[in-house]
Amino acid sequence: MNNSPSPTLPDEASSDREAIDGLGGLIDALLRQPRRIIHRLRDETAGPVTSSLLMIAVGFVAIYGVIVGSFSGGGQWWAAPVKIAAGLVITGAICLPSLYIFAGLSGSTARFGEVTGALGGVLALQGLLLLGFAPVAWLFSQSTASVATMGFLHLVFWCVAVRFGVRFLMTALEQWGLKGRAGIRIWVAIFLLVSLQMTAALRPLVGTASTLLPQEKKFFVGHWLDWLSTRQP
Amino acid sequence: MAGWTTPWNVRLVLPQMLVIAVGAGAFGLAMGSWRAPEQAVWSGIKLPVVLLATAAGNALINGILAPLLGMNLRLSESFVAVLTSFALAAAMLGAFSPLMVFLVCNLPPPTPGAGGATAACSVMLLTLVGGIAFAGVAANVRLFQLLRRLGGESAAGRTLWSWLTVNLLLGSQLSWIARPFIGKAGEPVTFVEEHALRGNFFEEVGCAARDLWLHFQP
Repeated sequence: MNNSPSPTLPDEASSDREAIDGLGGLIDALLRQPRRIIHRLRDETAGPVTSSLLMIAVGFVAIYGVIVGSFSGGGQWWAAPVKIAAGLVITGAICLPSLYIFAGLSGSTARFGEVTGALGGVLALQGLLLLGFAPVAWLFSQSTASVATMGFLHLVFWCVAVRFGVRFLMTALEQWGLKGRAGIRIWVAIFLLVSLQMTAALRPLVGTASTLLPQEKKFFVGHWLDWLSTRQP
Repeated sequence: MAGWTTPWNVRLVLPQMLVIAVGAGAFGLAMGSWRAPEQAVWSGIKLPVVLLATAAGNALINGILAPLLGMNLRLSESFVAVLTSFALAAAMLGAFSPLMVFLVCNLPPPTPGAGGATAACSVMLLTLVGGIAFAGVAANVRLFQLLRRLGGESAAGRTLWSWLTVNLLLGSQLSWIARPFIGKAGEPVTFVEEHALRGNFFEEVGCAARDLWLHFQP
């Protein structure tokens, strides 16, 4: 990820053009100076930066998935991290084309590769925050038997993570000429819906079931209501 | 306070841990002594452990949230800042411990069926909550002053609230697991309850609220 000078963007400070060294540097930039990453997504290092962001996202989310799986144990030790990491990648892949379209309609000059990198940043930041919440999630996983409580807690942590991820996306797109936020807000709503539906499509994530994947199609709201109405312990 | 932001070094962190161990330990000893000498020892160990475990368990998320909310703090600096605020709270609790001992000496013992035992228990609980709340608020006011100096009013406010939220979440659950701190009259003194990991603080609060609601339903 060491880089050479690259074209200057509007409103860009000289610190935004500083090199990013390794994964540690990328994580640090993600937290402190996201504009450094945004700058890199427009030069020849965009490919490696995007790949690294996706690697961070998948790796950290998988670690969080192990914590999710620790609630039920058994096969969920490996199934939960695999399903959660896969769910993240699938959600990203499903939502990427619409993000590109909405960004373009909102005035952004970002190319498809740059939008991919920005989405990678969103997912990496999500993964990083979930990793931070992992000790708290683990403690609650070990001290409650209620699937509903754990599901709710994971959902709260995920919402916080998405909130910061979306902020990164807005910063990137504004750097790339975004004129209005309405289109991106619609996309965020779509992204949230798809992500939430993943909790039903890949169930069970928190509890257990006789099969690895569901045999019946369900909308996520129906799935959650079913859980609440069965009054699990 | 400038020393709070000094990057991680053992010479800075160890004294803070010592203050937490001594201050919170003394307060734990005093509160547990109402029930039995053994309970005093257990509470004197558990209270500092809960504080240290909260700071350690949330070190990562606190360190991630700070820069995202506009504070230019590194992970180690966030940890030191939180640890120092805990140390300040523990120092205050330590200062309150003679008062707590005085209270224990003047309260009827927690004997089942003894006259005034219920009222004594309420006084004990309210004093504990009051003492811990005062120490917590004072420590966080100092922490806010530091954060405001480092990142301005609004970033400091956002960061402090986010830290308070996650620390409350983890700290309350750790306290729940480490219960009892005072001990119950008529029940044997134990380090932790037999099913310490069963249930959680928030479920219990939710159940209590639901029971109260049902109690007042026609």
